Amino acid sequence: MTDDLHHLTAAYSLDALDPHEQEAFEAHYPSCEACATEVAELRETAAVLASAVAVAPPPKLRAAVMAGIAVTRQSAPTVPDPRVAVAEIRPSNGSRSRFTGRFPPRFLALAAAIAIVAGVAGGLWATVGSRSGDPVDDLIAAPDAVTTELASDGGSSLRVVWSAERDQAAVIGTGLTDPGTGQTYELWASLDGAVAPAGLFAPVGGEVRMLLDLDDLDAEGWGVTVEPEGGSPQPTSEILYFGTL
Amino acid sequence: MGEVSPIRRLRSQAAPGQGDEATRLTELMIRAGRGDEQAFGEIYDLVGGLVYGIVRKVVRDPAQSQEVAQEVFLEIWRLAPRHDPSKGSVKSWVATIAHRRAVDRVRSEQAARNREERQHRLDPPPGDEVAEEIDDRFEHDRVRRALSLLTDVQREAVELAYYGGYTYREVAALLQAPQGTIKTRIRDGLIRLRDQLGVIA
Repeated sequence: MTDDLHHLTAAYSLDALDPHEQEAFEAHYPSCEACATEVAELRETAAVLASAVAVAPPPKLRAAVMAGIAVTRQSAPTVPDPRVAVAEIRPSNGSRSRFTGRFPPRFLALAAAIAIVAGVAGGLWATVGSRSGDPVDDLIAAPDAVTTELASDGGSSLRVVWSAERDQAAVIGTGLTDPGTGQTYELWASLDGAVAPAGLFAPVGGEVRMLLDLDDLDAEGWGVTVEPEGGSPQPTSEILYFGTL
Repeated sequence: MGEVSPIRRLRSQAAPGQGDEATRLTELMIRAGRGDEQAFGEIYDLVGGLVYGIVRKVVRDPAQSQEVAQEVFLEIWRLAPRHDPSKGSVKSWVATIAHRRAVDRVRSEQAARNREERQHRLDPPPGDEVAEEIDDRFEHDRVRRALSLLTDVQREAVELAYYGGYTYREVAALLQAPQGTIKTRIRDGLIRLRDQLGVIA
């Protein structure tokens, strides 16, 4: 398996892998020094191939980009020691009160563990925030809400509505199969070749409509896997739904 | 090819000023990461052609290419605070984001088309926009020469994958060759290119 993965460096560097191979490779290569070095080198090579086909962009693009960045918040930098970061970002118990007693302490511990592992915490909180009105509708109405339809098989549909401003996402789906006893669906945010956990959800009667509170999470795509109850820090099963922003 | 010269020539020519540009880009990205819009504008001026060029190559449709290129730059802006110079050059990072976005666009469209089994597709009206190739002879020649050192089948596989935006399995289907063979050709070809271009990560 590992040998196979080693041989995917080139195809990966050219974005020429299938989604499931890409997921597998991305789970592997950052921790494999040989692969990480080779990917870095081959990406430099790919950049030369890109330079060779450089074309002057239309002049109006520059104005559009500059106008866009003026109203776009930047991601927080990656902090070298994630433990320090978590300690700083989450002052003692205050922010925990967002979580209701609905989730077992084990989950909270796990959520904290995920935050430590990932550096970008993807905490889950259910629809407990606003009692008045539907929080999901509220999110959909956010000015910067972006809806992503996730590609899926036949009878089911799943979409993710995300507001970077509010740092929340909602998963809305129908026709979902039950993830099975002791298992849950987990949403992943993919960004720049990595994935971060974005929250857990479970369908009721095949339907889900749930608000997930993110933690300064950024995304260029969403994916969903089935994971053991409590979720996983990295996907451990095949991506069932996937969509890019 | 018998003479050692091609490699030596490429290396010895190793872009006068290219190192300077790489250093400059890194400095600018650090400033952009701190919210400096002017620095970002300079980055745009230095890599705008690369981004638009590769997006255009893969996506082809000019209007869509502009959309995607704009998304790419907003993404670079958003992620600038997380750029890690120790993991590679700014150009490489930017090209990675641009190519990824471009293939995402064509693949999600392909998926949508497959799903809906739409039969007709409209080609963009011709002559809408004349793409102006950036006259960077040095880079063109360098890459052309490096590509010429690959075998025909390696070059074909690398070009279809990168410029065509196809997965290696799709390339295999296009070339009616086994997937494993294509994976190997892409790998051998790209590694050879890396060695020829003397790219140091």
